[in-house]
Amino acid sequence: MTSVAYDRPSGDFKTSYAADTTIFPTRTSAAFCVAGIALVAAAPLYLDKYGLSILIQIGYLGIAALGLNILVGFTGQISIGHAVFFGFGAFASAYLNNNFGVPVFFAIPLAGLATTVVGLVFGIPAARLKGLYLAIATLAAQFILQDFFARASWFTGGVAGTPAESLTIFGYAFNTDARYLYVVLAYVVIMYLLATNLMRTRDGRALVAVRDHYLSAEMMGVNLTKYRTMSFGISSFYAGVGGALYAHYLGFVSVEGFTILFSIQFLAMIIIGGLGSIMGTLMGTAFMVLLPEAMTALAGQLAGSPIDRALGLNEGIAFLREMAIGAVIILFLIFEPDGLAHRWRQIRAYFKLYPFSY
Amino acid sequence: MRNTAHVLRAAFAGAALAATAWVPAAAQDIHVGHLADYSGATSDVGTPYGQGVADTIAWVNANGGIGGRKIASETIDYSYQVPRAVSAYKGWAGRVVAIQGWGTADTEALVAFVSKDKIPYYSASYSAALTDPAGGSKADKPAPYNFFYGPSYSDAARAMVQWAAEDWKKKGGKGKPKYVHMGANHPYPNAPKAAAEAYAKELGFEVLPAIQFALTPGDYTAQCLTLKQAGANYAYLGNTAGSNISVLKACHAAGVKVQFLGNVWGMDENAMKAAGEAADGVVFPMRAGAIWNDNVPGMKLMQAISKMSDPSGTAYRPIHYLAGACTVLYMKEAMEWAANNGGVSGENIKKGMESRENWVPKGAEGVCKPSTWSAKDHRPTLEVDLYRASVKGSTDASVPELIKSGTIKMTKIATVKLPRKQEWLGW
Amino acid sequence: MDTQLLLQLLLNGLIVGALYGVVAMCFVLIYKASQVVNFAQGEFLLVGAWVCWWLLTTYPLPFYAAFLITLAFMMAFGLLLQVVVLRPLIGEPVISVIMVTIGLSIFFQALMKWMFGVFAKPFPPIFASQTVDVLGLQVQTVYVMSLAVSVLIMVGFAWFFKFSRMGLAMRAVAFDQQAAQSLGVSVRTVFALSWGISAMVSAVAGVVVGVVNGVSSALSFFGIKVFPAVILGGLDSIVGAVIGGIIVGLLENIAHYFDSQFLHWGNLYEVAPFYVLIVILMIWPYGLFGTKDIERV
Repeated sequence: MTSVAYDRPSGDFKTSYAADTTIFPTRTSAAFCVAGIALVAAAPLYLDKYGLSILIQIGYLGIAALGLNILVGFTGQISIGHAVFFGFGAFASAYLNNNFGVPVFFAIPLAGLATTVVGLVFGIPAARLKGLYLAIATLAAQFILQDFFARASWFTGGVAGTPAESLTIFGYAFNTDARYLYVVLAYVVIMYLLATNLMRTRDGRALVAVRDHYLSAEMMGVNLTKYRTMSFGISSFYAGVGGALYAHYLGFVSVEGFTILFSIQFLAMIIIGGLGSIMGTLMGTAFMVLLPEAMTALAGQLAGSPIDRALGLNEGIAFLREMAIGAVIILFLIFEPDGLAHRWRQIRAYFKLYPFSY
Repeated sequence: MRNTAHVLRAAFAGAALAATAWVPAAAQDIHVGHLADYSGATSDVGTPYGQGVADTIAWVNANGGIGGRKIASETIDYSYQVPRAVSAYKGWAGRVVAIQGWGTADTEALVAFVSKDKIPYYSASYSAALTDPAGGSKADKPAPYNFFYGPSYSDAARAMVQWAAEDWKKKGGKGKPKYVHMGANHPYPNAPKAAAEAYAKELGFEVLPAIQFALTPGDYTAQCLTLKQAGANYAYLGNTAGSNISVLKACHAAGVKVQFLGNVWGMDENAMKAAGEAADGVVFPMRAGAIWNDNVPGMKLMQAISKMSDPSGTAYRPIHYLAGACTVLYMKEAMEWAANNGGVSGENIKKGMESRENWVPKGAEGVCKPSTWSAKDHRPTLEVDLYRASVKGSTDASVPELIKSGTIKMTKIATVKLPRKQEWLGW
Repeated sequence: MDTQLLLQLLLNGLIVGALYGVVAMCFVLIYKASQVVNFAQGEFLLVGAWVCWWLLTTYPLPFYAAFLITLAFMMAFGLLLQVVVLRPLIGEPVISVIMVTIGLSIFFQALMKWMFGVFAKPFPPIFASQTVDVLGLQVQTVYVMSLAVSVLIMVGFAWFFKFSRMGLAMRAVAFDQQAAQSLGVSVRTVFALSWGISAMVSAVAGVVVGVVNGVSSALSFFGIKVFPAVILGGLDSIVGAVIGGIIVGLLENIAHYFDSQFLHWGNLYEVAPFYVLIVILMIWPYGLFGTKDIERV
C-alpha cells in the first residue's frame, strides 16, 4: 500500500516471532546504522585530533549514559549518583592494571564486573525505595562514595589520583586518539547491541513492566526486588565499562572528575536524548558533549567584541558552560519532555507523511 | 518551526566544532600552553597570577619576542579540575615547547607526561615533589622538566617553623610550643605537611593532629573551636586566601589566640581587605622581592608589563601578579638561551633553565630574586623572605587606598636562609 | 572528654541547626503545597544573600531597607519561577520535575558565580558589639540574631498556617487538591504563593548566613543539607522539618567532636549527615513525623 521509502504500515502486521523481535524494523534503518558505524570508523581520515577526542568522549559517555537509561528510562528508577559508579570503574580498571598486572584488555571488562558488584550492593537496599526517596538515597551514595574515593588511597591514590596505562594488545599501543577511537567504537557497538537485545528478552519486558505499573507487574509474578536490583547491576556494569574506557583514554584518574555535576550531566544526557530510547541516549550524549564546546567556540568568536567586554565572557566561560547545561535541561523539559528521540521520530514522520503531516 | 530550530541547532554545533578545529598561527611562532584557574576553587589567587603570565607574554611579544619570533600562547581555564588539565595537555602535546601551568594536583599528575614528551612545565605549584630532576629522593618520581620560581612549600614551611621556634624563645614561652597543620585534604595543602611536621618535631615543637578545612569558603567555626581547645601556638594554613579568610574570621570571632603561618598563596592584599582585622599578624612567605610600587629597579619593568592590560597604569597588582611575571621572564631568558644554542625546543629550554646560577632576569632586579636550577636540584632558592600582614582599622575602601593610608601593610620581618640539604630534596 | 568543647560545639550545632530547620521548612512548604521536590532550595539562599549584599554595597541604604527590598525581590522571584518553569510541568513524572529543579539549581549557581565571582564577600558590619556571653560561652552577636530570627520565622509560619486565610487555603490544597478546588480555592495561586513564600524565607536564612560567614557559593550547600533534615523529619511535616534541621546541625557538630578527638579522619562532619540519611532511609523512610504512604491498587 505504501510507495514511499519507509516500508512501515500503520498497524502491527508481523507474522512471526522473528519479525516481532528484530532490532531493526526495516532494511533501511539497518543500512543507516551500518553506514553510521562506517562513517565513524573512517573519522581519522577527515577529523583532526580535536574532533576524534570529541567522538571518543561521546563513545565512553554514551556507554555510561545507556546504563543510566536502562535504570531510569526502562525500569523507572532514579539515580543521581551515576558519576561515582563511572568513577569506580575508572579506578578499578587502573587499580587492576597497576597493582595486579592485569592487561588493560581484560581490566576493562573486569572493572565493569567490579562496578556491577558495587551497584548490586547499593541496589539491594535501594530496591525498597521509590521515587523521591530513591533519588535522595542515590544522592547520599554520591557523596559517600566520593568521600571514599578521596580517602581510600590504597585503591584510588587518595586525592592525588592514580595514573592509568594505555591499552596495548601484543605490543600494539592504542595511545593515540585515532587508534583508541576503534577500541571505543567496538565497545559502543557491543554494549548497545547488548542493551537492545536485553530489551527484547523476557527480562527486558519485565523491567518495562516494573516501570509502567509495578503493582500489576508484581501481581503477574514479576519479582520487583529482583528486577530492580538487576537493573542497578546492569546500569553499574555499563557505567564501569564507560569509566574504564575513560581512564585508559585520559591516562590519569582523579577523584575530582566525579562530582555531582557529572551525575547530573548523565541525567541530562538521557533526558535530552529521550528516556527509554536507546538511540536517543547516543543523541543526548552527543548533544551534551558538543554543548560546552559550542559555548566555548561562541565565546571565542565573541572575544574582544563589545558583547564580550560588557558581559565579561572571557572570565566567565566556565560559568557559561554550567549555565548552558542548566538552561538546556530546563528548556528541554519544558518544551521537549520526551527528548531528541521523540523529536527525531516526529521529523521522520513528517517526511514520511508529507504533505499530510498533522 | 520546532524542526527547523532543531536542525539549526545541530548545524550550529557542527559549524562551531569545525571552527575550533582551525587555528590560525604563523609558522615561526613559539607555541606555549597556559593553564589558568580563573573560575575554580583557587581562582582568587589564580586570576592575578594568570593575568601576570598573560601580560608578560604580551610584553615579550611587544618587545622583540624571542629573537624576532612571537610567543603564541593558548590559555585554558581548567577550573582547578585535574581531568580538564590532563585533557588540555593532551591537546597540547606535540604542539607546544613549554607550558605555564598552575596547580599542584594537576602538575603532579602531569609529571610523567611532560618528562616523556620533554616539555618544560612552569608551575605555580611549589610542591617539593617537583624539585627532584634525577630521582632517588623521597619524591614519588623524577621531575626533570618541572620548574617553578620561588621557595617550595616545604622549604617555606620549614623556614616559618624555624622562625616560630625563635619567636617562641623571644616571647619567653614556657615548655614545648604546639604546632598544627591546617588545610584541605588535597595535594596542594598536603604538600608540605610531612616536611613541616618533621622539622617542627626536630626543633622541639609538639605536633598536634592536623585540622581539615575545605578549599572553598564556608563556616569553619567548629574547626576554630577545636583549634582553641587544643591550645595550639602556631598554626600553618595550607589553603589559598579564599578559604583562609573564612578560617581567620571564624577564629577571630571565636577568640582563638594563635600565630597563623600562611603559605605563599595564603595571604595577599585582597585577602587582608576581605578579612579585615582578623588577618592582622599573619606571617607568610613571599616569592618576589618586592610589593607593587616598591622603590626597586625592577618595578619599572613590572609597570611596563602591567600596562599591557592596563594602559592607564592605575591598576594595583597583587603579589601573585609579580610572581607570575617573574616565572615567565625566566622562561623567556631560557628560550633566548635555547635559540642561541640549538633552537627553541623543549630539551634546549630545560638546558637553558639549568645554565645559570643566581639568576635574575634582565630588568627585574629587586623583584625577581636570584634563583639557581641545576640538573640535580630544581629548588631555585632556599632563602625565604617572611612578611607579616598588618591591618589596623576598617578595610572598607579599595585596596590602593588602603595601602596608601597605611591601613594595610606587609612588612618584612625576617629572611630565613635554609641550608641546601640533600636529604630535604623532594619532600 | 572535653565537655567545654562539646558544649560549645552543641551550641554551634543548635544555631546552625535552626538555620537548617528554616530552610527545611521552606522545602517542605513547597513539597506539601505542590508536590515538587525543590533541588534548588540552596539557590534561593544564595540569590537572596547576593541581592542583599549588592544592594548594601552599591547603594547607601540602611540594612533594614536593603533587607526588605530583598524580601520583595525574592517573593517576586519565587512566584515568577513557579509560573514560568514549574507550571508547564504539572502532571509530568517526578523525574522530570526533579530534573527541572536541578537544572534551575545549576543555572543559578553558575549565574551567581558569573555575576559576583567566586570569592567570599563579607557583609558590611551591622552590629556594634561582636560577642555576647551565654552560659559562660562566647557567642557571636550575629549568631544570637540568627537564632532569634529563626525562631521568629517558625512562629510566623505557625501563625500563618493556623490563623490566616491563605494559610488555611494552602493547607487545604496540601491535603486534597480536588476538594480544595471544588470549594473555590485557586490551586494555581496557592502553588505560586508557596514558591514565593519559600523563596522569601530562604532568602532570610541566606542573608543571616551571609552576615555571619560572608556570601559565597558555599550557601548552595544548604540546599543539599536540607535533604537529611527533611527525610529525618518526614517530607510532609513542617514541624518535622524544623526538628530534623536541628538534629542535623547537632549531628554535624557531634561528629566533628568525635572526629577531632578520636577518629582524626578530618571531614566527618561533612559526610556524617549522609551516612545518617542512608540509615534513616533504610529503617524509617517516612521520618519522625511523616505520613506513611499506603499503596492502593
